[in-house]
Amino acid sequence: MSTTATLPESTEAPRRTVRSSRGLLGAAVGRSAQALVVIVLAYVLVFLVLAAIPGDPVSAQLDNPQAGFSDAEKARIRSFHGLDQPVLVQLVVSLGHAVQGDLGLSMATSQPVTQVIGAAIPSTLRLAVTALVLAVALAAALGLATRLLPEGRLNDLVRSLPTLFLSTPNFLIGLVLIQVLAVQLGLFSLVDSEGFASTVAAALTLAIPVSAQIAQVFITALDESAGQDYAEVALARGLPPAQVVLRHLLRPSLLPTVTVVGLVIGEVLGGSLITETIFGRAGIGMVVQKAVATQDVSVLLAAVVLSALVFVVVNLVIDLLYLLLDPRLRPSEVSR
Amino acid sequence: MSTLENTLPAPVRTAPEEPLLQVRDLSVAYGPTEVVHGVSFAVGAGKALALIGESGSGKSTIARAVLRLLGSRRARVDGSITVQGREVTTLRDREFLPLRGRVLGFVPQDPGSSLNPVRSIGSQALEAAALVPGAGRREEQEALVRGAFERVGLPDPQRIIESFPHQLSGGQLQRVLIALAILPGPTLLVADEPTSALDVTVQKQILDLLDSLRRELGIGILLITHDLSIAAQRADEVVVLQQGRIQEAGPTSSVFTAPSAEYTRSLQADVPGLNPDRFADLRAERDQKHPLTGDQRPVEPDGRQGADAQVRVSGISRTFRTRSREVAALRDVSLSIPRGRTHALVGESGSGKSTAARALLGLETVDAGTLRVGEHEVRAQDRRALREVRRHLQIVHQNPFTSLDPRFAVGRIVREPLDLYRVGTRAEREERTRWALEAVRLPQELVGRRPGALSGGQRQRVAIARALALRPKVLVLDEPTSALDVTVQAGILDVLATLQRDLGLTYLFISHDLAVVRQFADTLSVLRRGEVVESGEVTAIFDSPQHAYTRELLASVPVRGAAGVPGSPDAPDAPGSPGSPGSPGSPGSPGSTGPLPRAQELQI
Repeated sequence: MSTTATLPESTEAPRRTVRSSRGLLGAAVGRSAQALVVIVLAYVLVFLVLAAIPGDPVSAQLDNPQAGFSDAEKARIRSFHGLDQPVLVQLVVSLGHAVQGDLGLSMATSQPVTQVIGAAIPSTLRLAVTALVLAVALAAALGLATRLLPEGRLNDLVRSLPTLFLSTPNFLIGLVLIQVLAVQLGLFSLVDSEGFASTVAAALTLAIPVSAQIAQVFITALDESAGQDYAEVALARGLPPAQVVLRHLLRPSLLPTVTVVGLVIGEVLGGSLITETIFGRAGIGMVVQKAVATQDVSVLLAAVVLSALVFVVVNLVIDLLYLLLDPRLRPSEVSR
Repeated sequence: MSTLENTLPAPVRTAPEEPLLQVRDLSVAYGPTEVVHGVSFAVGAGKALALIGESGSGKSTIARAVLRLLGSRRARVDGSITVQGREVTTLRDREFLPLRGRVLGFVPQDPGSSLNPVRSIGSQALEAAALVPGAGRREEQEALVRGAFERVGLPDPQRIIESFPHQLSGGQLQRVLIALAILPGPTLLVADEPTSALDVTVQKQILDLLDSLRRELGIGILLITHDLSIAAQRADEVVVLQQGRIQEAGPTSSVFTAPSAEYTRSLQADVPGLNPDRFADLRAERDQKHPLTGDQRPVEPDGRQGADAQVRVSGISRTFRTRSREVAALRDVSLSIPRGRTHALVGESGSGKSTAARALLGLETVDAGTLRVGEHEVRAQDRRALREVRRHLQIVHQNPFTSLDPRFAVGRIVREPLDLYRVGTRAEREERTRWALEAVRLPQELVGRRPGALSGGQRQRVAIARALALRPKVLVLDEPTSALDVTVQAGILDVLATLQRDLGLTYLFISHDLAVVRQFADTLSVLRRGEVVESGEVTAIFDSPQHAYTRELLASVPVRGAAGVPGSPDAPDAPGSPGSPGSPGSPGSPGSTGPLPRAQELQI
């Protein structure tokens, strides 16, 4: 060691890592900038796709002869919404407003879009967050059980649950839950869709298939960590097996698991559309459904940008979690 | 040192008549397959016993049976294991737990993967210290950790404690692991190939450390190794295993001076350090067949001399730059290899030997200097010319477990270079593939197998066959045997030496194993921090090394210079006598040294 420990260029030499807050902060700023680009791109893409669809909401509502609007009036309404401009001009104008937080008026109801979306957010947020918490908790319980239970039938059963969950359709779980919990047991009223029990039932519907995906990755990761040398060495050192799981297997296994959690957020958002319909909740899902039916471009645009925003923020948080979980990923002075 | 005596619990010494560890008639079976058959041995306090054998001999399985790491559901263990006179095979898991770490310590094979990569060394060390009875308070635990780190010679313990595993070298990590193993004061250490993943100089330091722990703390050591020279030097007794059976056992001196088992003799013959002249006959035949011609003097940095050498590297430099600093990987390195000869690049990890090889292959640009192979100049920027050069210049990588595409069958792997260079017709390519497999002594029926179904030695032969397929003039051998057992290594080296004799191939042989270099190479460059500190004829450098670093490297070679170890180069009656390559007992070289099969004149 004496000959090599002092050589900076030898791999025998210690590689120092800068763990300053600036490194982490720099990474956070860089990734936030990337996130912003992603959101703008999502906005532009959705705008162009919607513009390419034939027809517009004004025509859809006013072309009905019984409405009795003259061509001049229709042209005036169109020009009020800026629909007579070329698509690119519309895009620039609407993007400019959006950046300033003005998402325009709903073309169907003429309410401000922010109001329409804002009113629906709390319900969806409550549902999605509850669902995500339930999904993560369920997946964690399943994963840890496979490691803490002795090898045997029970363990095999736990291992087969994710596949079962995953192959059961979302709406079926919802209907069964409603049938059992609301109709037969009367735990919640179908009318009061925002009550606690109702929210949990809806969230569970959403959570079960999502938890299965998380659990599959988590269990695989745990199995892989369990086969690593450091797990065997920790066991040989006299650490009780349950502690080996919690102290040594858990954290490395969280890395891939956290990635999957980020990916399933999209599923939770998408799934909320169906779930809200089944449980009659006035959330974003409901708003999007109506907006599609009426070709309400500005509301759709806002909903899409909102999901992109959520996606991007969640993944940003996950990137940062990665840096926290794995010291090897932290910015270091020497990059080999 | 005094810190240690104050803080580390003293190992419980047992009465001399009671061995620390007594294994009687141990058998281990996975399902219906028994892999260890009736093995018995004993380790006394302060003694070292080595379990020797090739991979698959069952030595690691025995170690894991002793430590109860096999998993009761998968492996069935029969027989008796007593620790300090107490039968442990009948203990429940809960009763066995207190023995782990506190009585039976474990030093693993690969330090790089044996610490949790996402947790700091400190947190893992404190966790180990917290398991020591009586170390309930944090300060006591910290004192234990510091004491153990100082005992194993880790400089600057505080920095180590704050580091993560990826920030330390292999040698440092192995010291950390040994510190964690001795921290609870075990009476026995089970060391499973504790140095096979380390450089030679570091290997010697780690083995010295284990020796001193044995002497000073009276710890018994069960040493698992495939390296006979390590066993010869470090163990009081050896047990030679083959396919789960004991072939021979006894005091080290008697097993090595008068091996009674045929298997022990063949194992010995395969240890490079014990048989420096193993390939002397093959090389003499080669010299007769391909005598040196023309100007073969070593090149100067400006490229003068050695005009007829097959490989000429003159004054190459390469500096890697990162944001904050520069690392000179190569500084003004020159070397030349005559046609049909072997030049070894020697140095520790990080010395620049791999960078030099990559530069020669055109995989790395150089900042200065020139590289020539035959009449071609190698320039990484000139992709077209490179393609032409690479026809004559192939590489065999270190790790045959990762260098072969697992989805391809052997035949396709070997044929691929021919397909890429569109050599000959389909039939001719098939013919050439068969020839290459025969040249490396692989049975033709392996053509349809995938790498996953092959052993490490077979895979490396496939890799060599692939490199041969284009009939290159130069092979870069990047530590071609360092991932393999001595027996398998001997077989591979024999194949390579035979190929050189028959085809006049020129080798650039990268290695950190000086014993192998002595057997195999003609000339040698010692690299350190990207600089050639010494170069010349292998025999001259081994006889009188000029540079201090070369001397240090030579001193690290196990066996050489170990007083009284039979079979060392100085012993006249070394078993597995010199110049007996491919002696009948070496399983790695079936029907060796015959001339290459037909088709070698195959002109395509």
